Amino acid sequence: MMNEYPGTSGNILLDDPMRIYRAKRDAARKRVTDKYAILGFISSGTYGRVYKAQSKDSDGRIHAIKKFKPDKEGELATYTGISQSAIREIALNREISHENIVALKEVILEDKSIYMVFEYAEHDFLQVIHHHSQTLRSSISQPVLKSLTYQLLNGLLYLHDAHIIHRDLKPANILITSSGVVKIGDLGLARLTHQPLQPLCAGDKVVVTIWYRAPELLLGAKHYNKAVDIWAVGCVMAELASLRPIFKGEEAKLDSKKNVPFQKDQLLKIFEVLGTPSERDWPKIKEMPEYMSMKKLDHYNNRLSEWCQSRIRSHGADLLAHLFAYDPDKRLTAAEALQHRWFHEEPRPTRNAFASLPSHQIPPHRRITQDDAPSMMPMAAVGSQIQAQVSQVQATAQAHLSQLSHSHSNASKVGSAASFASLSGGAGGGGPHTRKKARLG
Amino acid sequence: MATDFWSSSHYKRWIVDRATLRQARSDDLQYVDNPEHLAFLNIFFANLISRLGRKLQLRQRVIATAIVFFRRFYVKNSYCETDPFIVAAACCYVAAKAEESPVHIKHVVSEARTLFGEYGIKTFPTDNSKLAEMEFYLVDELDCDLTVFHPYRTLMTLVGKGTSAASDTEVGEAEDGPRYWGTGEGKLELSEQAIQTSWFIINDTLRSELCLLYPPHLIAVAAIYLTLVFSTTTRAQIQASSAHPSSASSAPHAHPDPTRRSSRSASSSSKKHAQPPDLIGWMAGLNVSMSLVATIAQEIISLYALWDRYSEDAGAGEKGSLRHAHALRGSRAAKEAGSRSGSAEMSEARDEGAQGEVRITPMFLVQLLLHMRQKRMEDLSHPANGRPVAVNKMLERTQAAG
Repeated sequence: MMNEYPGTSGNILLDDPMRIYRAKRDAARKRVTDKYAILGFISSGTYGRVYKAQSKDSDGRIHAIKKFKPDKEGELATYTGISQSAIREIALNREISHENIVALKEVILEDKSIYMVFEYAEHDFLQVIHHHSQTLRSSISQPVLKSLTYQLLNGLLYLHDAHIIHRDLKPANILITSSGVVKIGDLGLARLTHQPLQPLCAGDKVVVTIWYRAPELLLGAKHYNKAVDIWAVGCVMAELASLRPIFKGEEAKLDSKKNVPFQKDQLLKIFEVLGTPSERDWPKIKEMPEYMSMKKLDHYNNRLSEWCQSRIRSHGADLLAHLFAYDPDKRLTAAEALQHRWFHEEPRPTRNAFASLPSHQIPPHRRITQDDAPSMMPMAAVGSQIQAQVSQVQATAQAHLSQLSHSHSNASKVGSAASFASLSGGAGGGGPHTRKKARLG
Repeated sequence: MATDFWSSSHYKRWIVDRATLRQARSDDLQYVDNPEHLAFLNIFFANLISRLGRKLQLRQRVIATAIVFFRRFYVKNSYCETDPFIVAAACCYVAAKAEESPVHIKHVVSEARTLFGEYGIKTFPTDNSKLAEMEFYLVDELDCDLTVFHPYRTLMTLVGKGTSAASDTEVGEAEDGPRYWGTGEGKLELSEQAIQTSWFIINDTLRSELCLLYPPHLIAVAAIYLTLVFSTTTRAQIQASSAHPSSASSAPHAHPDPTRRSSRSASSSSKKHAQPPDLIGWMAGLNVSMSLVATIAQEIISLYALWDRYSEDAGAGEKGSLRHAHALRGSRAAKEAGSRSGSAEMSEARDEGAQGEVRITPMFLVQLLLHMRQKRMEDLSHPANGRPVAVNKMLERTQAAG
């Protein structure tokens, strides 16, 4: 039987059995620059860079293309594959689809680089806040504040129903299209919570940018849940209302052993507004690892209603108080928050969050610049079909990438800089994702 | 698993029909004498990935995801044009990341080299970057669809273990998603052993292409169905209640013969002093297509028949399979179950296997793969005759078949 297929003789192809496969695939692959014209550079962060690009299709739509950069592991580096956060963001984005989540159009893998093509969004919460604080010098109007908060919660409800915790909600990650539709972006830190094979704390030691981090995380909780996102929504809503971060603490840095330190200053910033949490508010607080450190802090009383007085009226203040419940089990869920009275009284939230605004108050378009590191985007190869040229480009890329490296675990970093993405165009006609809108009625 | 199954990439893009699977093997078929040999590759590589996964200390769900990735890759590619060993290693590497339990690439490379060496595979690269490169192609082939649904989840939910099995779930996480298999309220009460049997059967289905053909919840129901039928206790209950359909739900006289009670899966025997569970009623209440479930069950039985003609050292890579579990207990239980369940097809297949048809071994399959690849390369590198050899052979085959 063994002799039926006689031993194979030496063959260079046997030394690299995937050569034919790669040649075929590489020849068939469409390159980013074949499909998109790069219009300019939007932003960069720990993950990589984001570009504004126009599809070369007949529709000529605008997109945001996020290019992951390989992580560097010291200077001497070996390429060790796609980072955990890229895998995560790609895997989650391929499964989800909702009006209030930035839509992933496609992923292009090319020369060891990953390009995620998203719908484009003209604005984001951070930019709206800046526009009001710097340019208009006036607060965001109640109808706009309410619509933005409502749509943010609506997108979050979808994520939570799909067992996804975002874990990095902050103004820069929440986008708005030019037609005023909120789009939650950047799922690079997001995680599925349904039957995890490992506890959530095992993967990423630190989650959520410090100003938006929930008290249970600050107190070192090993287990946490969707409620961390709701806390962040509270922080974002407060920031929209006051145009500055409500809990602007100083982050205590990781020590040399990478232990997560006690975030004293951030907790104090929270206590100054919400008061020191009591066991009555939050029975399980005693079980928090940092409980003893917390006990040593000065005592504060709750001044939230005072804080709200000049900023958010009546029911809005009540919603905020419930988003800021200390006990994660008592904090509102996204579904409960959407049912809150504030959203069901006039002025009602609108699908176009800017519907009530005169045009001069709509924030300006996203600024794009020329890329300061052009190497991050490949030049459009002239006659890119020519195989020889393609392989030459790839050889170059390979040489380049062999100097880069990847740490595959714990790759996500907190506080990826400003986000990008999302679309305006097509947001018009009802769309398939209006079911949650029924709550408006 | 994000969202629910019906809106998942798994359902929308990765449930394929038999014609697609046939098409996927068309190039490979030109280089094998017996098309059946390709089916043995399904068993071989599932075992191989399981072994590699266990060396990497991956959980069963991660291993299952890796095997599904492998199957999906070969829906679009041919064995004769690829190196399935590096593909298998890349599947483990990507599955570990996709299931949030990453392993270091060095670890994968060294374990894969050692393991594949046992099969005489010497070409596996020492260099991490080769595996990383393969990862890249793999993710592309998978269309970046990295979330896979498995029958395990349905099984645990149907037997009411959905939440306890997920006891490591985060605080406040409950099984609150919509149930996608129907509206049936009833949970099935199964003994731990019966659940284990169903679980093993699900593991076994990964040795076939069932995960490409059917939604995972149907595979789970088929596994439960087979478990119930394999067990003498539950089979007696089913027979009794089907003999008296009018009193099915209250049949008090379903007295299983205690002397024939199987040690394999004494499902719900502990509850038998109470009313026996209405198994048929429960199945019917699932709101799934029973004919599909029966088809899947038949295919699982065919898989066991095929597998019987395959031998690997001491169940290597077969831990966690029903076959292995029985081998451990020294009983030919699967065979018994086959004849007892009265499946003519199964016993026929078994007889055929027993009548000395050559047993397939891993070494044979490794040689086969090398041979296929070499022949393919020869064909590709001698296009001078102007006729694509592949098409020729295909024609000959068709003509020979009449």
